[in-house]
Amino acid sequence: MPLAGPCAAYDGHDTMTRPAGPTVLHVDLDAFFVSMELLRHPELRGLPVVVAGGLGPRGVVNTCSYEARRFGVHSAMPVGRARQLCPRAVFLASDYAYYGVASQRFHSILRDYTPLVEPAGADEAYLDVAGCEQLFGDGEAIAGDIRRRVSAEIGITASVGVSGNKLVSKVASDASKPDGLVVVPLGGEAAFLGPRPLRDLPMIGPKTAEVLAGLGVRTIGELAAVAVGHLESRFGRHGLELHERALGRFDSPVLAGRGEAKSVSREMTFEQDEASEDRLRAVLRGQAERVAADLVRQGKAGRTVTLKLRFPPFETLTRSATRPSPTGLADELFETALELFERAWSENARRPVRLIGLGATNLQEPARQLRLGETLERDRVAETVAAIRDRFGDGAVKRGAELMRGPGR
Amino acid sequence: MKVQVLQENLQRGLAIVGRAVATRSTLPITANVLLQTDKGRLKLAATDLDIAISAWVGAKIDEEGATTVPSRLITDFVSSLPPATALLEIPDRGRQVRLECARNESTITAMDAEDFPRINSISDGVAVQLEPRALRRAIDRVEFAAASDDSRPVLTGVHVKSAPHEKTGAPTLTLASADGFRLAVAEITLSALPDDPIEVIIPARALRELGRLANDANEPIEMRINAQKTQVQFAMTDVELVAQLIQGTFPNYRQLIPESSGTTCTVSVEEFKRETRIAAIFARDGSGIIRLQLQPNSGLPGTLTISARADEIGNNEGSIDAEIVGDATKIAFNSRYLQDVLNALSVEKVALEMTSPSSQGVFRPVGETDYVHVVMPMFVQC
Repeated sequence: MPLAGPCAAYDGHDTMTRPAGPTVLHVDLDAFFVSMELLRHPELRGLPVVVAGGLGPRGVVNTCSYEARRFGVHSAMPVGRARQLCPRAVFLASDYAYYGVASQRFHSILRDYTPLVEPAGADEAYLDVAGCEQLFGDGEAIAGDIRRRVSAEIGITASVGVSGNKLVSKVASDASKPDGLVVVPLGGEAAFLGPRPLRDLPMIGPKTAEVLAGLGVRTIGELAAVAVGHLESRFGRHGLELHERALGRFDSPVLAGRGEAKSVSREMTFEQDEASEDRLRAVLRGQAERVAADLVRQGKAGRTVTLKLRFPPFETLTRSATRPSPTGLADELFETALELFERAWSENARRPVRLIGLGATNLQEPARQLRLGETLERDRVAETVAAIRDRFGDGAVKRGAELMRGPGR
Repeated sequence: MKVQVLQENLQRGLAIVGRAVATRSTLPITANVLLQTDKGRLKLAATDLDIAISAWVGAKIDEEGATTVPSRLITDFVSSLPPATALLEIPDRGRQVRLECARNESTITAMDAEDFPRINSISDGVAVQLEPRALRRAIDRVEFAAASDDSRPVLTGVHVKSAPHEKTGAPTLTLASADGFRLAVAEITLSALPDDPIEVIIPARALRELGRLANDANEPIEMRINAQKTQVQFAMTDVELVAQLIQGTFPNYRQLIPESSGTTCTVSVEEFKRETRIAAIFARDGSGIIRLQLQPNSGLPGTLTISARADEIGNNEGSIDAEIVGDATKIAFNSRYLQDVLNALSVEKVALEMTSPSSQGVFRPVGETDYVHVVMPMFVQC
């Protein structure tokens, strides 16, 4: 799909012809939550630091410092496991309100260069700077500029990948981490990806990698060399997609968020397929809290709740339910998502789950149907909790259920 | 069994009892209609085990007997026949009903009447006589406010209680329903109180069906509760409806109707309905919220503004003249709840009483004291 550059309105200047260099940037803040914690706790620099959704044994690691990663700790890992791997790490509870401010600043820096910014989370985004060269220089120059500004204005580092499409830029920024910049020239995509391990390619999870390893495929280049028909026989319609991606071909354009978010969601891919109902519920509960917090920040409420489940290798299903009135309450989001989950999971023989996600769509102004005899106490409680969290961090007030006790207690 | 019956009579009887036929049931015979000779007439009956409707039609009984046939089949079939005398016949121990009308003849596979759920006529307990029009009016004003999901079974019913009127002392039957968000209370004045006070919860669905039947009734309808207080029976001329009562305690709703209010707004029901209908078109694509603004205007008619907005569609705002006593204020309602109450008010003017944007709105028909409807507002940030 041809995409008009954001500055295409300056037509008529021959200097505004399509640029020769790559213009798609993937900007990713390095170990975002940990970096933010180090900003206010400089004494922790150089130590293994882990930021987790909850600090109980069933909490989940959100981000960890590069020091902690050396011990094998990684995001999405249960806190209990992380403690085993790295007992001397410093464990901190996530403080979304604090990170949120930095995240907003980050995205507004990006929008200074082009309106064509596609957020991919609190700490990463894609940009297409085609047509902006006259103003800010080429992709590489803009990438350098963004890195300098993030460092100066937020105090943390960002890594950037620049290439002709989102897929390769994402791999490039990952490759440049931390605090790096990698530019892949147009036409050089396959050569750049070729020697890299399979797992560097988004969409290749542990199970796919395992299947491919069985075929003797270990690098992206080796994957690109496998006949498409062969891949299709193993992976169905995803075979062609795997082949195209291994060659660095990806045609999904950078799409700017249309001002306001259409949905708010959280999802999580498990390193090992998850079969424990308790744990899946706990993850869903945490996602409901995060989504609710995002909704509050945006001044919105969601009327439709969506549940996403993926079973290995790529069998993805989504289920959604529309509530009678929009909600921004974590309890209500969780309640609806849990119903959807329980039904969808039993329909699928309660197989191990690779990915679970919760989203709120059909976003509307927050409004709630009051019940007969109800006073506004519940909202006052919610407001008070929000105020405490804004001031002292998300961890300051918690629900008992979030402590994620094991079963039978 | 051998019966001669006019096609029109059979068609009418089937239409009446057809409302009680089970549509989704694990008991196949409940999809059938019972046909039975009864004291010189033909009795038709159907039940889904929650409610049962029986109807009697005139017939010439040549031979006593009973059978059951699939409701949909016989209803569709009989309503297509020409107006003439139909002959219904079952050979002894036969599984086939033979039906002959004009020059059309058919056989229908039957199921044994012995297997049909027993429908008891109630003759004990306590009874009260109800005027059909007053009953119909009260039902129409309360049944829609009952809960449609059965997470709290008592709320799917209508609370019915007999007592002397709180203020006038007149014998009164009070019908109340609430789904957790709204409450409707209607009163019927009785000619006399029953021997023992009545207080039961009748499924809203049974009353909905009764409302339809009451349309055709001219004679008083007898409501009778059995001695065990498990069933209610409504007896009309040639038609009876029996329903299982809902067991449980209905919430004490009196406290939800405020005695006083901060602002009262009196408007034309027609105008209010029209503007609400328009706003609802916009509200349905958004959050379903209709906002009301009450603006008094010292000495002169005030204004009631009805508005709705849908983020990506657009906005709508309409104003009507209003007689407003009290301070300027605003309130937001779910558009369906607002439309429901306005549609139920068969009067010229309605008074909306309210105290704050987050407490209940009270709707009363002006000039009538026998109905009140309470709707909880939507809590909105702005």
